[in-house]
Amino acid sequence: MLDKNAIGRASPPTLNEVEKGAIRRFAEAIGDYNPIYYDEEYARASGYPTIVAPPTFPASFHSAADLRELLGVGIKSLLHAEQGFDYERPIFAGDRIYVSTRVSDVFERPNMSGKMDIAVIEDEGRDEEGNLVFRARRTLVVRAAKENV
Amino acid sequence: MPARKLYFESIRVGDELPALAKAPVDRVQLSRYAGASGDYNPVHVDELYAKSVGMPSVYAPGMLVMGMLGQLISDWARGGQLRRYNVRFIKMVWPGDTVVCKGRVSDRHGSGGRYFVEIDLWAENQKGELVMKGGSQIQLFYSLEDENRQRSGQSPIVVEVPRESLVVPAPQASTSEAATSSAPSAPEEEDDEDEDSDEPRTGASSKKTAPREKPAAKTASLPVAKKAKK
Repeated sequence: MLDKNAIGRASPPTLNEVEKGAIRRFAEAIGDYNPIYYDEEYARASGYPTIVAPPTFPASFHSAADLRELLGVGIKSLLHAEQGFDYERPIFAGDRIYVSTRVSDVFERPNMSGKMDIAVIEDEGRDEEGNLVFRARRTLVVRAAKENV
Repeated sequence: MPARKLYFESIRVGDELPALAKAPVDRVQLSRYAGASGDYNPVHVDELYAKSVGMPSVYAPGMLVMGMLGQLISDWARGGQLRRYNVRFIKMVWPGDTVVCKGRVSDRHGSGGRYFVEIDLWAENQKGELVMKGGSQIQLFYSLEDENRQRSGQSPIVVEVPRESLVVPAPQASTSEAATSSAPSAPEEEDDEDEDSDEPRTGASSKKTAPREKPAAKTASLPVAKKAKK
């Protein structure tokens, strides 16, 4: 079972600069051609200051987090079971967002073959003034490697 | 010019979002998503690797499918602001699969000049099997007039709108299944708690039970259904 002491472990904030090209490529990869992700003028006419990022764009942000380090185990496999976002405001091209990651919970859940280890990981994005932009929450089914790292 | 916007006053509980059928997922898209997201997990892009760990092929990252369902929300709620968006991944999406995104308004409420709608969301594959389900909260202007007022610095229009889920006799959580007769394609697996398999590396998708209201079209699902009951 995963180490309960991992709860609360966090990574320092990492700067992510939101680039127009990155937004465009992300939207293209999803197959979403809404012009608010590509066209500056269209975005402004839609009431936004500039090009907007799609809802799941924070998935592309980097943080300094190394899950093995945060969880304190070698990881054999991870299964993404749930994902959630809370948005304080939309994310725009040109934003500079500091992303930090913390282990919010670690627990066991019964399943057909016994128990599985669950880790809940939270990312938090803040602007340069420290205002919250978004929170993201991942629920992962973790299979630890036999030997701890 | 941008398309028409969506306003709170015109939305009703039970409204369905126009279904969004995405183009079939292919391996090029998986590569593009890996590059765009920075997630280079080889199970999504390296066929040989995926097979070496027991998968029939590469498969789509859950976040790609969540992105598709996000498109459904953004396309519908033009002019709205997404406040919350969460999903549960239920079944894997493989190259060649077509993801169909669906949603329905489950609640609406407003207070102090801020207006919100709650949406139930789900995605199905081309066989009608549930691959993902979730929900979202969107903040909207009450009306065009409300938007114009606020954009010109005036105070918002204030209408108190209690949660309809509290007004309607059927509370959302427990009896919603009985109330979904108007939408037969609604996800029925809700109470199954069939969490993603504990054995992701051994063809997890084939272990899932098909949504109950669907005919068991796939022969492959028959033995699985039996097995699950043991």
